[in-house]
Amino acid sequence: MRDLLRDLMDAAATRAEYADVRFVRTQSERLSTRNRAVDQVDSKVTEGIGIRVRVGGAWGFAAVRGTGKADAERALERALAIAATQPRSRGAALTEEPPAVGSYASPAEQDPFAVPLEDKLAILAGAEAALRSEPEVALTLARFQAVRVDKLFASTEGALCGQVLTECGGGVAAVAVSGDESHIRSFPTSHGDHMEQGGFERFVALDLPGEAPRVSAEAVALLRAPECPSGRTTLILAGEQVGVQIHESVGHAVELDRVLGWEASYAGTSFVPADAIGSLRFGSEHVNVTADATHPGGLGSYRWDDEGVEGHTVPIVREGVLTGFLSSRETAAEIGLERSGGCMRAEGFGRQPIVRMTNVSLEPGDAGTLADLIADVDSGLLIDTNRSWSIDDRRLHFQFEGEAGWEIENGELGRLVRNPSYAGVTPRFWAACDAVCSESEWHLHALLDCGKGEPGQMMHVSHGAAPARFRDVEVGVA
Amino acid sequence: MNALDVAEAAIAAAPTGDVLAHVTHERSLLLRFANNRPTQATAIDDVTVELAVVVDGHLGRAATNQTDREALSSCASRARGAAEAAAATAASGEHPGFQAVEPARTHQGHDAETAALEPALGGAALATTFETAERRQLEAHGVWTVAEDEHAVATSAGGGTFESTTDALMKVICIAPSGRSGYASSMGVAASGLEAGPLAERAAAKALVSGDSAELPPGAYPVVMEPRAVGSLLELLGDTALNGLAHAEGRGALVDRLGQQVAAPAINLADSPYFASTLPRAFDAEGTPKRPLPLIQDGVARAVAHDLRSGALAEGPSTGHALEPGGAADGPLPANLVLAGGGAASLDELCAPVERGVYVTRFWYENVVRPKETLITAVTRDGTFLIENGRVMRPLRNLRLTDSVLGILSRVEDLSASQQLTSHGEFYDRRFAYGVVSPALRAGSVRFTDATG
Repeated sequence: MRDLLRDLMDAAATRAEYADVRFVRTQSERLSTRNRAVDQVDSKVTEGIGIRVRVGGAWGFAAVRGTGKADAERALERALAIAATQPRSRGAALTEEPPAVGSYASPAEQDPFAVPLEDKLAILAGAEAALRSEPEVALTLARFQAVRVDKLFASTEGALCGQVLTECGGGVAAVAVSGDESHIRSFPTSHGDHMEQGGFERFVALDLPGEAPRVSAEAVALLRAPECPSGRTTLILAGEQVGVQIHESVGHAVELDRVLGWEASYAGTSFVPADAIGSLRFGSEHVNVTADATHPGGLGSYRWDDEGVEGHTVPIVREGVLTGFLSSRETAAEIGLERSGGCMRAEGFGRQPIVRMTNVSLEPGDAGTLADLIADVDSGLLIDTNRSWSIDDRRLHFQFEGEAGWEIENGELGRLVRNPSYAGVTPRFWAACDAVCSESEWHLHALLDCGKGEPGQMMHVSHGAAPARFRDVEVGVA
Repeated sequence: MNALDVAEAAIAAAPTGDVLAHVTHERSLLLRFANNRPTQATAIDDVTVELAVVVDGHLGRAATNQTDREALSSCASRARGAAEAAAATAASGEHPGFQAVEPARTHQGHDAETAALEPALGGAALATTFETAERRQLEAHGVWTVAEDEHAVATSAGGGTFESTTDALMKVICIAPSGRSGYASSMGVAASGLEAGPLAERAAAKALVSGDSAELPPGAYPVVMEPRAVGSLLELLGDTALNGLAHAEGRGALVDRLGQQVAAPAINLADSPYFASTLPRAFDAEGTPKRPLPLIQDGVARAVAHDLRSGALAEGPSTGHALEPGGAADGPLPANLVLAGGGAASLDELCAPVERGVYVTRFWYENVVRPKETLITAVTRDGTFLIENGRVMRPLRNLRLTDSVLGILSRVEDLSASQQLTSHGEFYDRRFAYGVVSPALRAGSVRFTDATG
């Protein structure tokens, strides 16, 4: 395969300003139980080659399944033909990058694909049984999934590198229904389960059977909980919701392709100007956000991105001020950055790389534990686990709703409340952040359904976050 | 080999048991543009073979994109192993198994010229769009895309079915130096229907509407929605109310409401796979033939969409809405929604009775808040205007809608006579082009919870 990719790039070198090629083999396994019965036992294997060329400033990309030499050569011709038929473009040169060479495999203690299906289903069955103790629970779910991506990359600049990334995880959920009321509780996350880079040990560590009784009990309790009150109050977001808040209002807002308007046709643009580094106040001095493609276990971790840039750390916000963007070689060059942020990722072989999040995380603060944070609130609201999310196409005005909320009175948690929602405007909301919990409360939170691009690409990302507190926030808005 | 040949080869690779093969072959071309320049161009040629095996009422599935004998045998082995593992965990399962598949009804869903996937056609469309935008000192953004898809289903019980379809979509967003934007799109079976010039002109006209942007405080207002905005709401109704799995599990918005008035009498919604302006589909991922399915008639809820699994839970048949063999995790969905038109001859006629209200071109980031209430939230985008004294008067700051879809449909006062096929055209995973055919409409007292800029 390495020889084929090298030959393709040799053939492209004289006919394109730049070209790269990726061979990608993706293996996935999804198991689930539903209402005490096995629901899904699915596996999928795909492989193919995607070739990207730049001619006259315009990109052409062609993808073909399999590994056949003749098919790959036809894909190269197709990519060149597509690029040639488009209007000429004034695209900037790519930032300089040393050719990526070598091999890498993400750590995995126990190969999740080698564990017998029966063993995985037994753990899910145990979780299901523990979810079913409440009579009003209408739906229970327990899930396992594993993904392994094996890819080779080569370019006309001499890059030739390979990496294997393995992810594993799962989750549980319970839906309680009574009349017109329906409430869901999920663990550990609501956006398609929790996964990390690693092996089967990541799934076992979730202890789904241990968490299941609390999950179903809270879903049922929400049926009788009072409605979340409306008004302005102090808001504490649990770590998972902080992760979603970072994702939607920071991560997407600092994707440089959006900032440059290149995603206006679908995902939208950004309120952040391209010349805002060092001047835009994004939040309070407690807000420090980092994009780190090297964090162990992160779903946005890799040795090289999908245009051969070595994964590295980019400070995005420091003490509330914008310090960087998520970028590619092309977008970085457009605004005069010396180096790409190494954020180009593609879903499988059949999509071309676009700017995506690595592990975009809110750095831990010094506010201690969640209990410490709550103890410092006279009156407020705690929201846990995202249920609904929506933000405008400039990533400015948002509205979120959690699965569960708790009133806070005189430094202690009070009543459980249902339908806890809040709304805000991105820089004002982050400016209202007055405390972030310490490192002991900081965890990676997975989000498996980040959609972007045309044709659409779904990406797995992680956000490191600890619970955080925001003052004077509008709640009870939906 | 066409998709049916591959499906039959896949069945042959799984020599024992109750087996279904679903095969799709995608050939597509998608050109993106932004700031009056091409940005990405993606050509895909890929096959997906999904094998579903039932053992003792339990389902196992495996998929591959390779079609050689060895790959199909490996796929069949994994699917059977999955079903056997599921069967080993419990007593007999409830999957009814797969029946023999009959050949599909023919339709007009294929256009040979579109199937050529000619990149020069797209290049010319982009050039026309850029010229139109630049002449008006605007920046054009959007996509032009065409595809040919083959679909086939075969089962071990015998028979097979095959169809070949094409789809074409172009959307244009024009953005003025002020930041004001306008949107227009066209979708259909044939690329010849994508007229770049008129689309760019329509998008440009919205971006160039003069006057300072008005701002409305949160509250309830009468609204006139273009077909794309209506289509977004109906897609969310599919998720929350028309999903047979959610309905059978007691989570759906129409639980205990079938046969009841759930919308205004003017609302007639059906899944119509052979409707003239839809993207025709003859069968679903389980080979079940598609037929027109009335969902809401004269405002009365009549049915939800089922696949084999949800149908079995509801003790009824599949209605032909499986997205995957054995059923998708989130359940079946209607993919050919058609909302019947009304009596309004034009958008102007819909606006005429509105003293002060909101004109919406389309919504963005639509998401379900509480499914059982069909409560959703979304923001307006690319053409939001203030209606005063029966006329569109000036631009309006975008607004956040937070309201119940069935509630909005209950407050519909009139619909346009003409309908349009619209879609976001997201094309995640393997290409599955679909859209909603809907008219424009006017509804009273639609709830907006924020102005978003």
